[in-house]
Amino acid sequence: MTATQGWLTLVALSAGSTLIAWGGGTGAWVNLAILALAWAKAQIVLNVYLGLAKVPGWSRGFALVLGLFMLAAMGLAAGAV
Amino acid sequence: MMWILIISELVVFGAGLIAFMGVRLTDPAGFTAAQGHLNATAAGANTIILVTSGWLAALAQHAGAAGRVARLRLMLAGAAVLGALFLWIKGMEYAGKAAQGIDVETHPFFTFYYLLTGFHALHVAAGIVILALVGWKPTLRNLEVGTAFWHMVDLVWVLLFPIIYLLR
Repeated sequence: MTATQGWLTLVALSAGSTLIAWGGGTGAWVNLAILALAWAKAQIVLNVYLGLAKVPGWSRGFALVLGLFMLAAMGLAAGAV
Repeated sequence: MMWILIISELVVFGAGLIAFMGVRLTDPAGFTAAQGHLNATAAGANTIILVTSGWLAALAQHAGAAGRVARLRLMLAGAAVLGALFLWIKGMEYAGKAAQGIDVETHPFFTFYYLLTGFHALHVAAGIVILALVGWKPTLRNLEVGTAFWHMVDLVWVLLFPIIYLLR
């Protein structure tokens, strides 16, 4: 993915999460969808903007830590509903 | 060295966001009511602004690798201007809260809100200074380090924005 493709994807994902929130929906699934989009955005920033796609070992390490963080966030978000 | 800073900053923000979500469990209704005072549309616009700024910083890296210094400086200047626009919108947001009498002690939600978004805004301000310094001395090393810091600021915001502004 090029920087421009990454940027376009980030804009689309950001618009998607804002539209989901604007939709006024509530509940665990809405929160999980918003966090899933944030997870995807963070992966793009790491791999495309920060260039971790070129160093697979670092990319896997960051992906693992990010994944643990997002799963914790998703669990806490679901627990608050 | 910059990566140590980036990782430590990510750990600090990550811990802050998890703490926010943990405290939210104790008063979900109060947190949702407090969140209703935020302007998610402005924050959404700020997300587009910041990821676009990150894109310009990435393009500056490419320009630097190609030895195109004038384009590099133009891209960095664009990234910095968008960073300043982000801060201006953030400042308007804070002013709106102040006008409503909302401060850090109004509710635990706002304690975290001001702490996390304020700390992030400080990083944006620092990043603008760093981008300006890189534009002044655009070696490949400076460019790599400076843009990495800017992308870290971007990364923190894409996680902070949905957790603070969107989750219900």
